[in-house]
Amino acid sequence: MSALQTSDLTAVAAPRPVAVQMTKVDKYYGKFKALSGIDLTVRKGEKIVICGPSGSGKSTLIRTINRLEPHDGGTIVVNGITLDGSPTSVQDVRLECGMVFQQFNLFPHLTILENCMLAPRLTRKLSKEQAEAVATKYLERVHIGAQAHKFPSQLSGGQQQRVAIARALCMEPPIMLFDEPTSALDPEMIKEVLQVMEDLAEDGMTMICVTHEMGFARRVANRVVFMDQGEIVEEAGTDAFFETPKSDRLKNFLAQILH
Amino acid sequence: MELFSDQFNGYLWQMAQGAYVTLQLFAAGFSLALVIGVLVGIITLSKNIVIQAFWKVYSSIIMGVPSLLIIFLLYYGGSAMLSGIFGTDRSFDVTPFGAGVAALTIVYACYIAELVHGAVMNLPKGQFEACSALAIRPIAAWRHVILPQLTRLALPGLINIWMIVLKDTPLVSLAGLNDLVANAKIAAGATKEPFIFFIAASLFFIAFSALTLRLSARLETRFNRGIAEVKA
Ligand SMILES: Nc1ncnc2c1ncn2[C@@H]1O[C@H](COP(=O)(O)OP(=O)(O)OP(=O)(O)O)[C@@H](O)[C@H]1O
Ligand SMILES: [Mg+2]
Repeated sequence: MSALQTSDLTAVAAPRPVAVQMTKVDKYYGKFKALSGIDLTVRKGEKIVICGPSGSGKSTLIRTINRLEPHDGGTIVVNGITLDGSPTSVQDVRLECGMVFQQFNLFPHLTILENCMLAPRLTRKLSKEQAEAVATKYLERVHIGAQAHKFPSQLSGGQQQRVAIARALCMEPPIMLFDEPTSALDPEMIKEVLQVMEDLAEDGMTMICVTHEMGFARRVANRVVFMDQGEIVEEAGTDAFFETPKSDRLKNFLAQILH
Repeated sequence: MELFSDQFNGYLWQMAQGAYVTLQLFAAGFSLALVIGVLVGIITLSKNIVIQAFWKVYSSIIMGVPSLLIIFLLYYGGSAMLSGIFGTDRSFDVTPFGAGVAALTIVYACYIAELVHGAVMNLPKGQFEACSALAIRPIAAWRHVILPQLTRLALPGLINIWMIVLKDTPLVSLAGLNDLVANAKIAAGATKEPFIFFIAASLFFIAFSALTLRLSARLETRFNRGIAEVKA
């Protein structure tokens, strides 16, 4: 058998490369164990939704991936970079991951455009013109180009969250992390933000989303992860997750959240 | 005494020179206190217990002692302290001006550092996290995101300190500095005209306060960029 054939075969059979690999990850806040033995593999282009009751460790999990929280045990590898706590590994991993927060966290003293230009200028060393072009492109993509010269405080919550998404996209990260991006929004604004996220998913972005929006999970996610008390209790393909939940804890959770 | 006689004009001229000394003392003291206070304020945000403990003790001593005592300590004890640090074979002249600048710097750097702490506590944690998530390095994050917002939060307190430093400058006259108030006192004593010269000195401080208020209003508009619109 020739080398060519073998590589062809593996190319067909091999699953997509791994984007995020968490192995036996533990995390403590003082003596409190917030994550225990987390094993999670996310492949390039996958959309993962993480759900679970309040305090189950969803935010902590997603924040260990870009090291907003350091983990205390196990390993996390992001696009081949092992998070070992060295400044270079942290910086490199953060360049791979964009993040969107529940509270938007826009910079209030900068305009929408400046919010989007800052990190590309400082971190990717783009010129002013290049950064402005990138910012304009992504602001238009989240349908907010017309507001570029306003300040965050002049926009609605939904608009601010779309700016926050654009700001993260301006770094052109291959992976996007979302921590309850719609939880702080009034109901009428949730849709516009979810729509932007769905568009992003269609473009093949690797996405890890903590959210309670189960409709979004059904439409977009490849897999759903259920957490409780710092553990991953159940993880399944989206249809199986909702149709045939196995553990009682997940059944109870779904019964509550879907009424 | 006759107004605008040669003698009178001579005293007025002396007061003008005193006012110049007061302004120099204020400018040097306040700007050094600002720079050192902000740096110390940022450094003492560290969670390191040694730094924390040292800062707690040091700041409560400095802020607990009257500024006048620190001026005296530095003026009368300054050359002994410098000889102690740099070796006894050299002698050091401590001028009242030097001691005054050093004392104002030491005292008000403490207050400014505390002001910085308060402002940082009031800044939402999400601002720091957003910078980290965007891979903005700490120094750049401080410069472009944190400090501009701290300035806005700390500005009213800074204006207060600015006024207090100005009003503390006459204390240095007690160490022999010929500032505005010292020269007003000399003129008032020599001419037996206390009202004219002390009121003239007061007018100087009032004029300076008025200028300060205009400046602070301008700065506030500038730093409230983006925030003011919410209230409008
Ligand atoms: N900085 C911290 N210090 C101490 N304990 C913390 C800290 N952050 C989170 N915790 C605790 O860790 C646990 C997990 O918190 P986490 O924020 O990850 O939960 P979550 O699943 O995101 O909850 P929610 O749905 O309310 O956002 C909670 O019990 C919380 O109280
Ligand atoms: Mg959370």
